[in-house]
Amino acid sequence: MEEQKEIEFRLLCYNPEVDIKAYFKTFSIELEKGVTILRAINYIKDHVDPTITFRHFCQAGICGSCAMRINGVSKLACTTQVWDELENCPEEGVIVVEPMNNMDVIRDLVTDMDPVMDKLKEYHCWVEPNTEDSKLGVKETSVSPEEFETIEFATDCILCAACYSECSMCTVNDQYISPLVMLRAYRMNKDTRDSAAEERTKILVKDNGAWDCTHCYKCVEHCVMNIPIMTAIMGVRKEALDRGLVKSEGARHAMAFNDDIYSHGRLREVTLPIRTLGVKKTIAMAPFALKMASKNRVPPLFPKPTSEQKNVKKMFKQYEQEKISEKKGNP
Amino acid sequence: MKYAYYLSCINESLTKELDRSLECWKNDLGIVLVKLEAGTCCGGSNFDFVNPDLCLVNNARNIALAEQLDLDLVTSCNTCLLGIRHAKTILDGSEEKRKYVNRYLEKESLEYKGTSEVKHLLWVLNEDYGLDRLAEKVVKPLTGLKLAPFYGCHILRPSALMGVDNPNAPKSLDLLLETLGAETVEYKSKNRCCGFHTLLVAEEQSLDICGGAVQDGIDSGADFIVTPCPLCHTSLDSYQKKALSKQNRNDSIPILHLSQVVGLALGYSSKELGIDRHIVSESVLQ
Repeated sequence: MEEQKEIEFRLLCYNPEVDIKAYFKTFSIELEKGVTILRAINYIKDHVDPTITFRHFCQAGICGSCAMRINGVSKLACTTQVWDELENCPEEGVIVVEPMNNMDVIRDLVTDMDPVMDKLKEYHCWVEPNTEDSKLGVKETSVSPEEFETIEFATDCILCAACYSECSMCTVNDQYISPLVMLRAYRMNKDTRDSAAEERTKILVKDNGAWDCTHCYKCVEHCVMNIPIMTAIMGVRKEALDRGLVKSEGARHAMAFNDDIYSHGRLREVTLPIRTLGVKKTIAMAPFALKMASKNRVPPLFPKPTSEQKNVKKMFKQYEQEKISEKKGNP
Repeated sequence: MKYAYYLSCINESLTKELDRSLECWKNDLGIVLVKLEAGTCCGGSNFDFVNPDLCLVNNARNIALAEQLDLDLVTSCNTCLLGIRHAKTILDGSEEKRKYVNRYLEKESLEYKGTSEVKHLLWVLNEDYGLDRLAEKVVKPLTGLKLAPFYGCHILRPSALMGVDNPNAPKSLDLLLETLGAETVEYKSKNRCCGFHTLLVAEEQSLDICGGAVQDGIDSGADFIVTPCPLCHTSLDSYQKKALSKQNRNDSIPILHLSQVVGLALGYSSKELGIDRHIVSESVLQ
């Protein structure tokens, strides 16, 4: 590819005080290979249109302020190369830059992060020290490298909110906790200096919380720090189960998989709704069930266990026995 | 060509037509699928956190059953693909984990060695069988049909575990459908979520996710949406009416399984392929 060329940028602009809706402004600029998207839009602001508004600060992928959608995907403008983006253009040679999704636009590429911050507060995403107030600052509260290991990946988060922008559930529910906040909450729960995991977890599994993640893995795919965010989401759910918070629909649904793999090897879909939702909500599903039945889309009423189910049961029992021995200190 | 065919729970219950349609045409292509009757549920991306250690053993066992037959494992469900590939990635990267699971598997005279690949049916057709070879087998090209490929999440993401398609601009299903003679449409939802995994626990929101994708498919001008995942199929087909009525729409679009669309091009009828079992099927059957 050429080392220097003219490239078209389409920036989605919107000033809520003046504009009825967002519109694209198009700029053609001559750029050299090696330039980042942030440098390019900074050039446009400095030399072509000073009204273009966006957030940026460190220019090194650390502060997380310049997240925006580049060719439809949430990324940091400062770590994204223009030449790389030329490979991703829906229309050849045209780079489309838009504000992040799932947030209101304050102006042009600047989105309102307040709801994100409010959720961080709502879910107590800070360490609640297990040291008495009077003793704080008197004695060092250390975290050993081994203790840090479990949360290390989660501490890489720079709060850029690319995951929030990409999240399928955030798109349809602005009250949804979001992957970002779950990652933070998980990190605090597992911090050995923290004393609020029990209370925090109770809040995490309420409506719009941890059980509403739809496992689309968009957060993982688009995390600019390559954090396996699903590990934290699943970690929060496991913590809820381990703490006995098993009465929610999400918890009951998840545990059904464990029960069915043990008893039958396969999921017993015929009773899954009643086990997840209870009797009342299952009865409300009757019209849907009848429609499914009219097309013979019904799970077997008495599903057969798999051909070697006795071995699967033995596997589960061996696991339980080993756990008991471990607890007694005889691995 | 011979594979160990992993039986997905949903194909044994709600989407029986998927395996039935596969049964129809596998001889036409000479693809032998040996059913893993002793295989167990992959955990549906839930067992993974309910009991991570046992989930690893469970999927190691599924793969070991294929290894015992000296065959690669193939699945027709995206979530099964994710769960089983996830286990394989962990096991292939850790001798300690292999030793751990094999302590369990040895009781059944099984051993996880890491010799079998874990693939999706779509990848088998595209990569192992080959599109040129498939094109030669087409007896009833899908000429004139506009199809909207809907990939589903767990065949694309996390891409570090999958590595076949670019999750932002996937092509494999598009290429397959074009090989069968159809025209494919570009639309925003092709790599988006169908909402299946939260249909029971957050129905309203899941229907909005599903409805968004279906609407987008209809608005793209496609005749049908085609998906390689029976979970996506269930969401997009069985919940379609409910989802679209939330968006104040009363139109519809049939959703076809990958196996059915291949079957159509190989000359099988809608009925043979079980398309009449779908909730939305009228326009395909005409």
